[in-house]
Amino acid sequence: MPFTAYDLRYHAEQSYPLLYAYLHRQAQRFLGALKYDAFEVDTVIGHVVEQLVRLGLFGGDDKVPLTALDSLTDAQFYAFLSRSVRNKAIDRLRKRRLQVSTVAELEVPDNAEIEEDPLNEAVAAAWGPAPFATPEEITLYIASQRELLDLLKHCIMALGSAPRQLNAVMQELEDIGADELLDKVMQDLKEKTSSPSPAPAMQHMSQHKDHAHKKLRHCLQQNSTNLAVRVALRLTEYTTLTMKGSAVNIQALTQEDLSENDMREGLKALASEGLLNWSGEDDIRVTADQVKRLTRYYKDE
Amino acid sequence: MNNSMQSGGFSDRRDNYARLASWLQQIMKQPPTTIKPTSTGENDILLELLLDSDYHLHFYQQLPDFIVALLNNDAQATLRYAPLLYHLAGCSECHASYLDLYDAMRAAIYPQGPRPQLGQGTRTLAATPQRMLGHLCQSLISQAEALFRQGRHDHVDNDTAARSLLQLALSISARIGQSMIRRQALHDLVRVANLFEGPDSSQEDDPRVYAYTPVMTGSGGTRSGKKALRRVDAPLRSPGAPLEEPTILIQSQMLEGNITQDGQTLILHLQELDEELRGRYVTITVPLGALLEPIRWRGGNPRAIRSTMPVDAQGVLITPLGETELRLSDNEEHNLLEATFMLLEVRVAD
Repeated sequence: MPFTAYDLRYHAEQSYPLLYAYLHRQAQRFLGALKYDAFEVDTVIGHVVEQLVRLGLFGGDDKVPLTALDSLTDAQFYAFLSRSVRNKAIDRLRKRRLQVSTVAELEVPDNAEIEEDPLNEAVAAAWGPAPFATPEEITLYIASQRELLDLLKHCIMALGSAPRQLNAVMQELEDIGADELLDKVMQDLKEKTSSPSPAPAMQHMSQHKDHAHKKLRHCLQQNSTNLAVRVALRLTEYTTLTMKGSAVNIQALTQEDLSENDMREGLKALASEGLLNWSGEDDIRVTADQVKRLTRYYKDE
Repeated sequence: MNNSMQSGGFSDRRDNYARLASWLQQIMKQPPTTIKPTSTGENDILLELLLDSDYHLHFYQQLPDFIVALLNNDAQATLRYAPLLYHLAGCSECHASYLDLYDAMRAAIYPQGPRPQLGQGTRTLAATPQRMLGHLCQSLISQAEALFRQGRHDHVDNDTAARSLLQLALSISARIGQSMIRRQALHDLVRVANLFEGPDSSQEDDPRVYAYTPVMTGSGGTRSGKKALRRVDAPLRSPGAPLEEPTILIQSQMLEGNITQDGQTLILHLQELDEELRGRYVTITVPLGALLEPIRWRGGNPRAIRSTMPVDAQGVLITPLGETELRLSDNEEHNLLEATFMLLEVRVAD
């Protein structure tokens, strides 16, 4: 019987020998000239096994949440394993080719090996590159997406409790010419404080900047930040459609992409920032002022 | 608006994005997590792990779901996984894993060419290379540590999941016949198991505590700076072959002892104990004891087993530790028990 992703999760010890045997065959298939090098074969297998452990699949039982890997059909799961082996094998082949120094070492035993050489195959990617293939591509995408920039704005605004750090970041935004984002932050700051305090003298600028960056990095990777922004967006969209100032039931806001738990976590984050008066009720009461603030805070004018 | 103005506006906007993107990248850049150097394999018994336990588990485990959302062209994917996306912008290790997994999942969901064959046949752990069993144990122990640390960071209880991985590692290690590989495979087990007990759990550095470690049959090497002597007269064991002496040898610096079995009872024998212990009861701690369910420890707590009698005038102590159906005479069960006694601490009872 072939093993399945389910077996690896719930019967890890019994399934491991079968997994090993399968990965071994695949590794030998893709390692070309290195297929009889036991260390290289085991390195490829070890990589895939470690990946399955780290992803929480191998031995995860019902103690580690299921992921999309658990939903793959058996054929898809085997294709996933096979491709993972292939990628690691290509990686090892490349590393070893960089290490070889003599002509003799570069020679491949027979022509068949050349035809089957996975490195040749790897040159032409059938599907094209993956989205977000480089970090630059990711940040460029973020910079062009309103909702993702709203997260950034949210986190910059959260620096308000440390005015020097906030000013350091504002200065940076000005320096790089991020006028649009800067304007939005300025507008919201005015909205939040009736009489803005004068900018404090900026000594130790780089120190403030470093602290601010650390806080921003932390804030941007928090799930609660994301939920707060998404819930605020949902709330403003909903209250625009309905009568402002009325109560909104939490169920009405819950949709496929935001569960009730997500919604509650987001509402909690908004309440903690003073943008809402909410303490766990099913009905959320939003005043016209609060809608205005939320709209200003999270949406383009 | 004429075309040149339009293209100028577009170009300005793109420049703005590019500048902001570059600034964002600077903000999100993370110090790299520990990646061990790639091994050449010449002097290694075990394979190196690719990631240390301080890898970004929380983000790493979101990758399959994020990738499937992208492959399904889910318009909300980047917003739903925004924290992950921001993280990928600054973490080169997670980004490399994303690319690796994306390619494999794309091949799984949108296959090109013939499907690979499914795994067939029957194999046993005994027929699996020992080195790979050792590597699996190390992966499981490292993952248990990562889960533990993530749980503490997020204030959630991951202890059950982490313990379960340690138990799995312990169980798999019993199939490793070569003691040197088994020792390396379980190298971090005591340290990680002690994490669950809090920062003061290990008393190995306390001079009043005698820390015994097993002298694994046919092995050499050190642990925590203590030399574990190789028993040159000990026969090399292979799985399936019966043991000549159903005993676990342990030692603490110059002191020796052993654990034997009488029926179901595991009995600790220590000798030449220090004068300060003579005439006194001792407390025995087996830090890994809680991981092995088939042992009913005396007193119920493997971290506080009180000796049934005091150390005698010659410094000898013989005391039961607990009862088990596991048999020291069986190779795999012997290995399992030996791993459980990876550390045994003795101190004067309060």
